Amino acid sequence: MTLKKLLCSAAIATALATGAHAQSDGWSLAKAAEPYKGTTVDVVFLLRPGYEAIEAMLPEFEKETGIKINIIKHPYENALGEQVRDFVAGGDLDIALIDLVWIGSFAENGWIVPVDKIREQYPDIIDPDLDMADFFPLTLDAFGTWDGTVYGLPFDNYSGLMFYNACMLKDAGFDGPPETWEELKDTYGPALTKDGKYAFALQSKRNETQSADSFARVIWPFGGSFLDDNFKSNLMSEGSQAGLKFRQDLMQYMPDGIVAYDHAETVNAFAQGDVAMITEWSAFYSSVVSPDTSAVADCVEIAPEPKGPAGRKPALGGFSLAVAEQADEAEKAAAWLFIQWATSKANAKEYVERGGVSARQSVYNDEELAKSKKFIPALVESWQEGVPEFRPRFAEWPEITEIVQEWGTKMMLGEVSTEDGAKEIGTRMEEVLDAAGYYDGKKPLVQ
Amino acid sequence: MRGQVSRRTTLGFIGPAVFGLAIVGIAPLLYAVWTSLHFFNLTKLARVEFIGLENYWTVLTDGVFWQAMGRTFFLLATALPLQIALGLGIALLLHQPGLTLVKTLARLSLVLPMATTYAVVGLLGQVMFNQKFGVVNQLLGGANINWIGDPTNAFAMIIFWDVWQWTPFVALVLLAGLTMVPGEVEEAARLETNSWWTILRHVQLPFLLPGLTAVLILRTADTLKLFDMVFTLTRGGPGAATEFISLMIQRVGFRGFDQGLASAQAVILLIITIILARIYIRVFYKEV
Amino acid sequence: MRRQRSTLWQLVLLAGVILLCVFPFYWMVTTSLKTQIVALEAPPVWIFEPTLDNYREALFEDGVLRTLVNSLIIAVCTTLLALLLGVPAAFALARFEFRGKKDLWFWFITNRMVSPIVLALPFFLIARNLDLLDKHITLILIYLTFNLPIVIWIVTDQFRGIPYDLDEAARLEGASQFTIMRKICLPLAMPGVAVSAIFSFIFSWNELMFGLILTRSDAKTAPAMAVSFMEGYDLPYGKIMATSTLIVIPVLIFALIASKQLVRGLTMGAVK
Repeated sequence: MTLKKLLCSAAIATALATGAHAQSDGWSLAKAAEPYKGTTVDVVFLLRPGYEAIEAMLPEFEKETGIKINIIKHPYENALGEQVRDFVAGGDLDIALIDLVWIGSFAENGWIVPVDKIREQYPDIIDPDLDMADFFPLTLDAFGTWDGTVYGLPFDNYSGLMFYNACMLKDAGFDGPPETWEELKDTYGPALTKDGKYAFALQSKRNETQSADSFARVIWPFGGSFLDDNFKSNLMSEGSQAGLKFRQDLMQYMPDGIVAYDHAETVNAFAQGDVAMITEWSAFYSSVVSPDTSAVADCVEIAPEPKGPAGRKPALGGFSLAVAEQADEAEKAAAWLFIQWATSKANAKEYVERGGVSARQSVYNDEELAKSKKFIPALVESWQEGVPEFRPRFAEWPEITEIVQEWGTKMMLGEVSTEDGAKEIGTRMEEVLDAAGYYDGKKPLVQ
Repeated sequence: MRGQVSRRTTLGFIGPAVFGLAIVGIAPLLYAVWTSLHFFNLTKLARVEFIGLENYWTVLTDGVFWQAMGRTFFLLATALPLQIALGLGIALLLHQPGLTLVKTLARLSLVLPMATTYAVVGLLGQVMFNQKFGVVNQLLGGANINWIGDPTNAFAMIIFWDVWQWTPFVALVLLAGLTMVPGEVEEAARLETNSWWTILRHVQLPFLLPGLTAVLILRTADTLKLFDMVFTLTRGGPGAATEFISLMIQRVGFRGFDQGLASAQAVILLIITIILARIYIRVFYKEV
Repeated sequence: MRRQRSTLWQLVLLAGVILLCVFPFYWMVTTSLKTQIVALEAPPVWIFEPTLDNYREALFEDGVLRTLVNSLIIAVCTTLLALLLGVPAAFALARFEFRGKKDLWFWFITNRMVSPIVLALPFFLIARNLDLLDKHITLILIYLTFNLPIVIWIVTDQFRGIPYDLDEAARLEGASQFTIMRKICLPLAMPGVAVSAIFSFIFSWNELMFGLILTRSDAKTAPAMAVSFMEGYDLPYGKIMATSTLIVIPVLIFALIASKQLVRGLTMGAVK
């Protein structure tokens, strides 16, 4: 007995000693935040479930730290403009909310602070349990890292998933979702498109949705990509063209006016039972399974996106949070404390339970959680592999996406052929890249 | 002579207004001209450089600008005749004798669309023209028309709301003209003919002309300004079907962040506007 | 007989006009009283159990109340400023002879026609340099670009209608032009001043583009707020309509008050 006790206390002592080594005098959030009490941190949030989740948890953080988080809410479409305007104006945002395609621009403009710099400048506020290796490597690389430097911690994390209405599929004689895109079009399409219902809806509105959710989603699985190794347009390649033609074909199984569908319309059509399958971000899980917003909550099942000839290349998107360079000393520290807390291992479970999608690998080992959230297996599978440059992440993306949006929708509306449209995008895209200095060696070919 | 005052007095009265308007109206324009001569992208402020007239060249040769311009004038060419025809009808209706109470009610109702916040008109459009749960399709006997997602229908919907909001304006302007016709002249004409068309053409039209010209020019200027309603209703979509000139400039400047190019577009739009304003002044304010 | 029939036709057509004008407002208000589930019912329902939840949520949870207050502050201040600057200018334009008067008129009217996007771009950059983004004063100033012309146009018109003989005596006694304006002419021009104030208020209250680009949170206006509900992930139609109703009611009331002069204001005095 005594021996056991002894061993026990020895173990505890060792644990404490190693712990003490890491945190010198017992790290706690409250203690770390002590010097920054009363600081207000300004951040832009989107009108999406992950943000509501963290907002609901916020009082706990504010109480413990005495730091006030001032949330400014915007729809996605305004969030980039809002932040760019604030940063160029030297406004008062202390945290940058970074969509993966914005990171090149934010980093090159010097609007965000590298994590290492925070570590160096404020060693006392780094949580010893930060454990960067616990983030899915793909998410940390794609959402938070630019040119080898980590700036942001993955916060609102997406993979494209296939949401399907199992009841509708069953009625049409299918036991499960399609494995490949071709199968979706050739077998599921005709069987499920009838009586005013449609097999599929691909959100394609002329904004980031067109480039990210529609255009990029069809080129990659068919072996295409935006750029080749020399940063010239790859949209005329066989793979890219096959993907774009596939999209034209698939439109016959989608609701009319799909080019006006944004996430809300698509999720809504699915939730109302008008559409049998959608490929949407993991973040919309909570709204399609909530009986308050969904008429088909009981029928919803989730699978990874279908495969194409080039394999499964699910859409990748997501947001990281980084400290803004324009914040003052106290605000920077307070901002970091919030980012670290919101993306922490310790809070991941509650975050997911409240409707967020965490990028922490550890949380998805929790069996209880995996049972209550049906999207978890598909999500984990999708994040094992994925294309970080699904959309190029360089600073030129905001200009290029405008071009893709314009001509991508023109293709869908049949105003130009996929070849002519792709050519047009290619020429214009190369002009932008040329002006930016990628072709004369002034800029490294990083996307 | 009456009206002769010292320069100091004139300046004292008019100076503050001129100064105020110069600060908010002219200084930004000069700045826009400066910006338009540079490569000036908000996300690339490290690379601002003088590029002369390149932005102007891009605007003048890029189809997108002229397409948006063409679309804007096409909207004007379709909506304005409708507004004038309907407006004239309503004005004549209100000019008929009798039914005082109903006419007063109608006049008050006509005031409502004009005053409505333009952005709200667009939001209302989203709700009423929704393909599925919109009341418009229901009132059309359960039609299944896709208003917002089809390029032609979306354009028609924009025309509808423009006509809804501004026909009352045309009607009231024309009604004001009709009431200027001296009673005895109109009476005399009525004794001679029963044809309302003859009366309209020969008796009333001269009194309507100033109002009609005002409508023509103001609607032109307002169509060039049109932004709020379309922004909230279709955001210029689907595709570019409803991307009018002001929306396009906003997109280039604040979504593509190319403020240099957008400024060049804005300057060209301003020049077109000034030409129109010149015409306006010539026609109406000769007396000044 | 014929007379009666045509009266009947007139009645029917007028009723149609009234219905068309009013119906969208009816639909806006009823939608604002629907829950999300009811609002999304297809085909739409006309009879349902109304709820004020949308208003409560919009006003107190989403901060629409604050944006309404912002809009009010901005619209009132810019109107007062426009009157302060515009009334003396209008007096001078109506009564003094001076060089360049014609060009001044031209300039004022051009401002009424310029698309706000032309000014919004550079104004944003200037405001950014002067640290004026997201401040009430910025909108108060930039709204002068359309308010000042309106005030000047309407009030000039009004001053012109006042005969010179009225203040002849005062002038002979040596009263300054300022005293003449303040003591004699301004009281007589009050109706015009009031109308121009109402217009200035309506236009400022309704403005969207500057509000969208130049404010973010502290000075955000109500129309900019209503727009930001769009493109969330579940499009809260009831709430959007509730916010719309709150925005529209004040302007409709003002417009009805000024209904007789509305046309004159909108045509900048071209039609009387």
